[in-house]
Amino acid sequence: MFNRELVKGSTSLLVLQLLNERDMYGYELVKEIGRRSNQLLQMKEGSLYPGLHKLEKQEYIEHYWQEQSKGPARKYYRITPEGKKILAERTSEWHRYVRLMNHLIGSSE
Amino acid sequence: MHEGEHRFIRELTIEIGAHEQNKTIVKDYQLHIYELLKEEEVPPEQIYEYLVQHLGTPREIAKAWKQEIETTPKKTQWLFVVANIVIFLGGTFFTISYHVFHWTWLERLWIFITDATFLLLFIYMLFWGLLGYEIGKEFGHRGYRLLKKTFLISIIPNILFAYLLVFKILPYTWFDSISKSSFFIACMIVTFILYPVSYVGYRWGRKVSI
Repeated sequence: MFNRELVKGSTSLLVLQLLNERDMYGYELVKEIGRRSNQLLQMKEGSLYPGLHKLEKQEYIEHYWQEQSKGPARKYYRITPEGKKILAERTSEWHRYVRLMNHLIGSSE
Repeated sequence: MHEGEHRFIRELTIEIGAHEQNKTIVKDYQLHIYELLKEEEVPPEQIYEYLVQHLGTPREIAKAWKQEIETTPKKTQWLFVVANIVIFLGGTFFTISYHVFHWTWLERLWIFITDATFLLLFIYMLFWGLLGYEIGKEFGHRGYRLLKKTFLISIIPNILFAYLLVFKILPYTWFDSISKSSFFIACMIVTFILYPVSYVGYRWGRKVSI
């Protein structure tokens, strides 16, 4: 498990990254984050939605409804062109930061 | 709907409170719970605890939403518009008090402030930079439209004050320290660069918006 604040600070970036690959609904996002991190990156699922709301308010993502053959319609999220731009900016910054930190405190690998 | 699920949704609705987005927020969680319970066989009597374990308590969820639903574009816009009006009203009240009351402490303060006019201009520019930063940080890409709108409304007192001063509608001698040519020119330049300052603040805020 990781520091809660660290996870909180990087959730938006993770969400944008996942939505950059394909459209997803809230529950799917949580499952995907858990699956890709081997369940090491687990957050309280309830805190995902304020984050999604904020990203939507900032016009980095938008939602649409998709009817299901069984059960209620799902609310899918997709990344916007501005979301892609900020994701590219932040990802590049993140890589530079990780490289610098690895250089300063030593890589674990 | 099972009792545990019903209880969770009922408590969440109460915790979120009377808010225009209450129904939308609760619906997101209802859908999430539907997916969660579809995937896992949970004994009915353990559903509430299971939901709390995965989602957090309704109170924790409402707390996470608090800041998000409280910060609206309109609130942010009027916060800065009102702050700028307060700065102008404060300055006007201060000037009138100095010329009318002749209190010693006020005279000392007046001398200190009129000697540090360029420092005041710098602090004032920081206020406009902060305006842009806060809008960029909270509203990201969408904040650009909000910045332009907020700027246009907020700048009205500045233009009005300059107009009153240039056309000597205000008692000219009262604002002697401001109307000194060098400082007045500096004020004009600052007024023109307020938008670029706010824009730089906005870009900086936008950078940290996610």
